[in-house]
Amino acid sequence: MELLGGGRDSIDDRLDAALEGGIVYADKLLVVTRTEDPTGLCFAGEIDVSNSHAVAESLSVTEGDGADLHLDLSGLSFCDISGIRSLVDAAETRLSGRLMLHGLPELLQTVMKATGWSELPNLHICNCRGAR
Amino acid sequence: MSTFPASAVEKFRHEALLYAGGADFITGTVPFIRDGVRAGEPVLVVESVDKIELLRVALGDDASAVLFADMAGVGANPARIIPAWHDFVSRHGAAGRRLRGIGEPIWKGRSPDELIECQRHESLLNVAFGHGQPWWLLCPYDTERLDAAVIEEARRSHEFVTERSTVKASDIFRGLEASGAPFDVPLPEPGTALGQMAFGPNDLAAIRVLVSRHARAAGIEARAAELVTALNEVATNSIRHGGGSGTLRVWQEDSTLVCEVRDRGRFDKPLADRERPSVSVSAPRGLWLANQLCDLVQIRTLPEGTVVRLHMRRRPQQHLRVVPAVN
Repeated sequence: MELLGGGRDSIDDRLDAALEGGIVYADKLLVVTRTEDPTGLCFAGEIDVSNSHAVAESLSVTEGDGADLHLDLSGLSFCDISGIRSLVDAAETRLSGRLMLHGLPELLQTVMKATGWSELPNLHICNCRGAR
Repeated sequence: MSTFPASAVEKFRHEALLYAGGADFITGTVPFIRDGVRAGEPVLVVESVDKIELLRVALGDDASAVLFADMAGVGANPARIIPAWHDFVSRHGAAGRRLRGIGEPIWKGRSPDELIECQRHESLLNVAFGHGQPWWLLCPYDTERLDAAVIEEARRSHEFVTERSTVKASDIFRGLEASGAPFDVPLPEPGTALGQMAFGPNDLAAIRVLVSRHARAAGIEARAAELVTALNEVATNSIRHGGGSGTLRVWQEDSTLVCEVRDRGRFDKPLADRERPSVSVSAPRGLWLANQLCDLVQIRTLPEGTVVRLHMRRRPQQHLRVVPAVN
């Protein structure tokens, strides 16, 4: 498990990141990439207890400027409770701006509702398709 | 004259009503409901659609003050019934307001596995509400259609039993403490397993692939993702709280796919799978979720560890119906 993001300060670095897909995190189940417009992250693959730490790690290098952060989850084929918990935790600990969830798979919406996590002030489920 | 005086109960009263046929059912339930309505108590009746219709007719105008819910929906998985009663009590029982309920979770058509879980549910009601606010729950049992052993168990899980219009304290009630004792009723050994694997912390993805494949092969493709999600949580519990590993078995029983997880952990919170998760981020949610997604969840606490079986039928289950609010 390696963390490729962080410390990209110069415009050149950011351009490079965008050109190469801006991989923030990758393991054999999950790839997280940076998105520019809107500002956020794209999650593809599976999240379970073995890699749910990637959610907080990826968000910590993508704090932005306090505005809303957009997460494209349309490529998530699986996400367990520990993964959702990480998203909720990240939303609750944000100092400003909301966490906007795009393309949340239907079953995940059901799970969030069933587990009492569907109505949180800093976590917004967008019904549009995908972040981009 | 009323069989059930409107005297307020001073604690949770869990009472079995033994009735023989439809007329006896009406005689045993209508005065109970009517007395509640006339005393201004919220009343929720969770019964079959047929019995709800019978009661509406028998109650006449009083029916409009009663909440009804279909037990086939609410109690499809019996572990969802306690949360439904919790919702009723918390929504309508503010400031210790007295309430009444009627719930018939056990009927002739219940499968043997469902029946045992329903009986566990009846015992757990004592644990769930025995220390809380006073309210009165009447549980009808049809003596014409149910086995004598089922009626006998009703006398163990209910503190009071009414039969032929006479109420008595049950002399074989198992009591509050024993009602929540570790549940160790043996589970039947299945036929041929379709799949089996020992798993550790790095095997969750492999478990998901295995179960997903068997779900598709069993023709429950539409519900495969729900089953995989529930099973993943149960296996995660084994990894985090059950000694770090476990064994998975998958088999089919008619149109139901069953997944079993065994581990060396000890499940000792009898209501953990049926208490609505608190808003706290860290509150456990896995077994609760399994009960919301699966048709039946069997949990056993055995000397060698914990066993959890998840049942998923080919037909979609009826989901919990929302109880309409009292005006």
